[in-house]
Amino acid sequence: MAIRTSQDTAVAAGFLSPFMLLFGTFLIFPIFYSFYLSFFGSPTDYSLSNLEFVGLANYKRIIGDFQFWWSLGVTALYGVISIPLGICASLALALLLDNKLFGKSFFRSAFFLPNVLDMLVVGVIWTLIYAPKFGALAQITTWLMGENNFFNTTGLLGSPYTALLAVVIAMVLKGAGFGMVLFLAALQNIPEAVYEAADIDGASEWQKFTKITVPLLRPIIIFMVITGVIGSLNAFTEIYAMTSGGPQVVMGGETVGSTSVAGYYLFKQFDSGNYGYAAAISYMLLIITLGITWLQQRIASRNDAMEAKK
Amino acid sequence: MSKDMHPGRVFAFMILLAIMITMSYVISGQLFKFGAMVISAFTTGEGAESAMQAGELMHKLTPVHNGLAVIVAIVMTICVVQRFLRTKNEMRGAFLKRMFLYEALAVGVVVVLFPFFWMLCTSFKPSGQELVISKTNPFDIVPSEPTLDNFRRVLKTDAASVAAGALDPIENKKNFGTYFLNSLLVATTAAFLVTLFASMGAYVFSKKELPYKQQMFMLLLATMMIPGMMFMVPQFFMVCKMGLFGTKWAMFLPHLASVFGIFMLKQFMDTIPDSLIEAAQIDGASEWQVFRVVIVPLALPIILTLFLLTFLFHWSNFLWQLIVTNFENPLSITLPVGLALFRGQYTSELGLIMSASCFSIVPIAVLFLFAQRYFIEGMTQGAVKE
Repeated sequence: MAIRTSQDTAVAAGFLSPFMLLFGTFLIFPIFYSFYLSFFGSPTDYSLSNLEFVGLANYKRIIGDFQFWWSLGVTALYGVISIPLGICASLALALLLDNKLFGKSFFRSAFFLPNVLDMLVVGVIWTLIYAPKFGALAQITTWLMGENNFFNTTGLLGSPYTALLAVVIAMVLKGAGFGMVLFLAALQNIPEAVYEAADIDGASEWQKFTKITVPLLRPIIIFMVITGVIGSLNAFTEIYAMTSGGPQVVMGGETVGSTSVAGYYLFKQFDSGNYGYAAAISYMLLIITLGITWLQQRIASRNDAMEAKK
Repeated sequence: MSKDMHPGRVFAFMILLAIMITMSYVISGQLFKFGAMVISAFTTGEGAESAMQAGELMHKLTPVHNGLAVIVAIVMTICVVQRFLRTKNEMRGAFLKRMFLYEALAVGVVVVLFPFFWMLCTSFKPSGQELVISKTNPFDIVPSEPTLDNFRRVLKTDAASVAAGALDPIENKKNFGTYFLNSLLVATTAAFLVTLFASMGAYVFSKKELPYKQQMFMLLLATMMIPGMMFMVPQFFMVCKMGLFGTKWAMFLPHLASVFGIFMLKQFMDTIPDSLIEAAQIDGASEWQVFRVVIVPLALPIILTLFLLTFLFHWSNFLWQLIVTNFENPLSITLPVGLALFRGQYTSELGLIMSASCFSIVPIAVLFLFAQRYFIEGMTQGAVKE
């Protein structure tokens, strides 16, 4: 019997080893390797060898790097705008679809379709829609309001005040179908009897929505917040495609990009050959992510405790 | 009858009906015109004169596509009015609500899908005429003088490129056909390897005994919380140190360990009864045979889902492919990277950029049409589990 068990273990290990080998090499090892790299300098000639050991210099530089902290602020703003907007858009679509409708699956698929399309291409298309003079939006507003309108002269992406919002709108429209499917599944799981009971108690439509529907959708909302936070920290392609971090603004004596999110700033540092510094930045971002995750779980568990008390 | 008529309700119905007629006419008109445009573009040749010919052909087809749009609008109007009249008076409020619902949904679909329709239309516009829109109706975005020249130019099969290609074949191969094949190769290989390793791994996590199995699984799940951006620098160094920079392997190797895939497959394999495996073992099946004959066929829908999702991920894995591409070897460029490069070169040539975009968008949209269930269920799987 003992032989049989050890043979089983060997078989199991054999089946699992290709995956674990890749996992260890490309997901676990880099966490440590990145830490190691963050103590090295940044060669000016893009060479990967002969990196100079600089100790904690990269971390000291981060603390004084206004651009880095600014990009974190932009990331936070990006999340603060895009997460609620995304949740509202998906929920609105789900509520519209949560009826007995002819052609429901058509609508569901049509809304979901942009989710599977390439982010870069979607970003490029939206850039051209927003573009002043020849973009689709500029053409329509010119027809409606004459040539001297904001959409035709500057364009939404040309002004530091609207650029981030314009990116968010494009991304919300691309991603709304995803949340919609999640909300729709959850909505259909709410038993009709709950609403009927509320009707008997004389609840208004709004009360039913805020007191029954929203609390029952809470797990989906939490999920969307968590993925939204990770998405904001990961945001790169949409910024690269649509704004390249611009338009530039001067803040406290430094020129910063009004849509330069953390992911984009990290790429910029990496792209200009500051490998050690980029590694240090990714480590800082990792720590921040873990902090946020920890905070979210605290809040979620505290809310659960409060629910339980009621 | 007239006594029961609610004037407010009739008025609301009139407004909703007017909106419906306008929308159905404009939308179906654009779609039919798009069909006519594709036909005219494909039946004519290259160059500005052919675009004129295609324009004439389209002009001849105008009664057809306009007529079809009018028919659609009329048929819909008749159906809706008939339904409204037949509906009992007390049900008419609900009827109007449903009508509003459909119209709101239709507006939503138009807003969400407009960018892609615009992309398709612009890609057929002759060079230099992307800016020309109908002065009377800015919602008429389908070109009236269509041409396939943009596609010829991004594929480098137009006369000028072919002539240049005779002198410099490499230059001629730097086209979106090549990029498309590269992307296809990278995404298919990656998807195949990911599904193979993930299903083998998930089998162990679901059905086999192994010391520290639970701890390993928790470790896997923990890494899902880390944004992928954080791995960029170390993974790039590793790939370079392995001497893989610029190769196709580099484009997907670091992303082969799909934790999401393991998670998804394990969830499914947990529902396969152990008795099936035992039955196969009693019949004398080897371990590999159990996996291949029992597990894989039963988990095939979910494996297929993972395959499609992984394919999609690598199809649009722009950032990673950008940094590991060796630009001295332009024939190894993949679609997203190619598009980013291309856009830098032809900033204002909308038609060219849009037709290049089609190479990435259209195949995936078609794939989605045929396998939408797998895509939607697969992508939303992890979330619905609490």
